[in-house]
Amino acid sequence: MFAAALLAGAFVSIQIMLGALGIAIAIGLFMALLATTRVVPLRLFVACYVEVFRNVPALTQLFIIYFGLAQVGLRLQPIPAAIIGLGLGGGALLTEVFRAGIQALHHGQREAAVAVGMTPIMAIRYIILPQAWRIVLPPLGNYSISLLKETSVASAIAAPEIMFYARQLVTRSFETPVIYSLTALLYLAMCLPIGRLVARLERRSRAWQ
Amino acid sequence: MIEFFQIFFDKLPQWWPEMQTAAGRTLLLAAYAFILAIIFGLALALAKLSRSSMLRRVASVYIEIMRSIPTLVVLFIIYFGIVPLGITLNALTAGSIGLGIHAAAYVAEIFRSGIEAIHRGQREAALSVGMTPRQTLRYIVLPQATAIMLPPLINMLVVVLKDTSICSLISAPEIMLRAKDLASTYFRPMQLYVLAGAMYFGMAWPLSLLARLWGKQLGRGRRTI
Repeated sequence: MFAAALLAGAFVSIQIMLGALGIAIAIGLFMALLATTRVVPLRLFVACYVEVFRNVPALTQLFIIYFGLAQVGLRLQPIPAAIIGLGLGGGALLTEVFRAGIQALHHGQREAAVAVGMTPIMAIRYIILPQAWRIVLPPLGNYSISLLKETSVASAIAAPEIMFYARQLVTRSFETPVIYSLTALLYLAMCLPIGRLVARLERRSRAWQ
Repeated sequence: MIEFFQIFFDKLPQWWPEMQTAAGRTLLLAAYAFILAIIFGLALALAKLSRSSMLRRVASVYIEIMRSIPTLVVLFIIYFGIVPLGITLNALTAGSIGLGIHAAAYVAEIFRSGIEAIHRGQREAALSVGMTPRQTLRYIVLPQATAIMLPPLINMLVVVLKDTSICSLISAPEIMLRAKDLASTYFRPMQLYVLAGAMYFGMAWPLSLLARLWGKQLGRGRRTI
């Protein structure tokens, strides 16, 4: 009986996680490329974005996006608000991850690509990103796991994910210890396989090197 | 935009006293949780490095479980979940314990990798000149490992500080709870949550900078060796 509701919540949790992961990767990649340009205002902009979003709690960001924006007339549904909020916060983290990945490559790689006649975009697409990908894979995997856990905070803006259903079940049945233990088990059952998968991908990409 | 700041600065004197008290609670919550995390984390790290395979397994399982469940779930279990067993904690205590035992799993990994980063020759040399294992840990391994562990530990403190916001969901009277209360009284959620965000930023950013500075210095020191 409890399990069905919690599983419905798990579906929404995964939905929020995948949406936020997509946004975070897109923002992180874009910002990391901006941060590696030579244009100082762009780099300053990226630095401000990263510092602000990395030093403010996810819950505060969600409240600003969900309750704050509603005050100025932009009313978002809970799930999109959670996806955007967690995605923006994750984007700041991934900017740092991708930037480190790009900068870990020897600059000779980019110079060589340009020297054989590739455009800068082609150099990024075919030379830089494929190599940086292997470097960023482990932190990206760890981020996915922490993102899945962070979706629990979205219950505070009434997104119907696992914790939201858990709290609802508790007010209805008063089986508090049982329900929250089940919830913990459910997160465990979702996070452990992702952890294994990340470890395996990591091993495989290392073997390739 | 101008109206936004006008309201903000008009109301700030009314909001500030409550927010200031709440900020104190947030800092206290983070401090207690972090101290607990350090103590418990060190114990877990030592258990994981010990010779007894039972201790190692218990520590590993604990760390794995804690790293796989959200902080919010830990807080709910400690605040609501153990009430039927006859234990009631106030929100601040439950918050510090929850955040502390959760962060301990991450702190343990920081300690473990810091201790393992010290070349084993250091330990062997200390043992061969007649130091006891305890003396070796105390005088040789830990002083060197501390320098390596400090930047990630400060980053962990930032994580704990940000996670205190989640304690508002178990009604601990910290920044987010006050901001929420005031937002529903004054109908100004945008201003209040931005204020809350700015307060967290003001507390977390200096720590983040400190961690980064320290890390850079450490990198420089290592490169010369």
